[in-house]
Amino acid sequence: MSITALLTQFGDRYLAALWTTYKLTALSFILAAALGIVITVMRISPIRPLRIAADLYVQVFRNIPGAALLILLVYALPYLQVVLSYFTCVLTATTLIPAAFCSEYLMSGMNTISPGQIEAARSLGMTFLQMIKNVVLPQAVRSSVLPMTNLLVATMLTTALASQVPLSPTDLTGIVSYISTHAVGGVTAFLISAALYCATAVVIGQVGNLIDRKVRILR
Amino acid sequence: MEQGQKIVGKEPIIELRHINKHFGSVQVLKDVSLTVHKGEVVVIIGPSGSGKSTLCRTINRLETIDSGEIVIDGAVLPQEGKQLAALRSQIGMVFQSFNLFAHKRILDNVTVAPRDVLHTPKKQAEAEAMELLRRVGVGDQAHKVPAQLSGGQQQRVAIARALAMHPKAILFDEPTSALDPEMIGEVLDVMTELAREGMTMVIVTHEMAFAKAIADRVVFLEDGQIVEESTDPKAFFDEPATERARLFLRALEH
Repeated sequence: MSITALLTQFGDRYLAALWTTYKLTALSFILAAALGIVITVMRISPIRPLRIAADLYVQVFRNIPGAALLILLVYALPYLQVVLSYFTCVLTATTLIPAAFCSEYLMSGMNTISPGQIEAARSLGMTFLQMIKNVVLPQAVRSSVLPMTNLLVATMLTTALASQVPLSPTDLTGIVSYISTHAVGGVTAFLISAALYCATAVVIGQVGNLIDRKVRILR
Repeated sequence: MEQGQKIVGKEPIIELRHINKHFGSVQVLKDVSLTVHKGEVVVIIGPSGSGKSTLCRTINRLETIDSGEIVIDGAVLPQEGKQLAALRSQIGMVFQSFNLFAHKRILDNVTVAPRDVLHTPKKQAEAEAMELLRRVGVGDQAHKVPAQLSGGQQQRVAIARALAMHPKAILFDEPTSALDPEMIGEVLDVMTELAREGMTMVIVTHEMAFAKAIADRVVFLEDGQIVEESTDPKAFFDEPATERARLFLRALEH
């Protein structure tokens, strides 16, 4: 089938799939950023068990393949009497893994902060959490805009895991299998999805560069 | 500057009792005891590696100690936690490398701790901060970020930041050592002004002329020990009582 024929017949479904992908990406990224911040604060906290637990988290979820995690969530959790919807399973997988990477980027962002600023914060009477809030996190976040941009793109690509479970409407990758079973879409159907992924990634990259230039810390 | 008329109180603000500290196997502070009274300017001098910066930093526990006791205005400095933070907030600190918060505007550098630690309302904190910034001569820089200021300006902001907490005393850890020579004067002027207004100060410095002019008491530290202490700075600098202080001062002349 030609691109025009495909779009005429399946245009609405592509739009719905694009929306699913965007929704999963946005939700995953927001949750991953929040979780990543919590994990990072734990990793630098004065309480050793928290540090160990958070380090362990990062080691596990940075190194587990997304598909393996999704299989565990879909097929293993029910044995523990936990049955999540397919959407929640995908969202969990695409949150837990990026959160580990988010924490790694924040940790390297923190390395740009001079130890003297930490001492200054302590000498002003700030508690650990006040120091994190006022001095450490704002600088770590502003120094890691570019890696976070990459993480957002990577998160979007990871949401292709959604194609492995029955979702309605399915995502940009799932739509390809749908078309292949309902028509002769071939490579063209896949190219449309790929183009949409790429176009989105380019926009994300551009916006990331703009933000980075705006918030970069003068030193 | 004449310090003659100044009255130093009897009330102790900082008391160090028998402080010992090691870095590995090296003992950097050996049974150091020192009391700083209200309104007093104590200048700590001594050769590099004598432990004077370490001594200064132990006062608000940026350096931990192995044994001894630190008392701030009657309260024993605790090991960690909220009480330590609370006591630290009462003692200002000015560092060699300024240590301004790189991402915050000058005004926010000064207001952040009053607002978050002392819960001062935003408007009041900003009004006080502007007043302090004007006092140290950088009022027109309030909306810039630290990297846009010269070293001397940054250090004056750091002093304003410490003052904004209404501290009972301020520690100065070699405040002019990282400055270009032409900027040292502007920082020392601000400190001299503070001393005249009765601020309790502990100053670690290599500026001997300044030390002689500003000190109510000079403490000469060598090898982690207080070798000589004098409440008559002029006499100390002209005619130190100990041979070691004499050698140190003579070495500086050449």
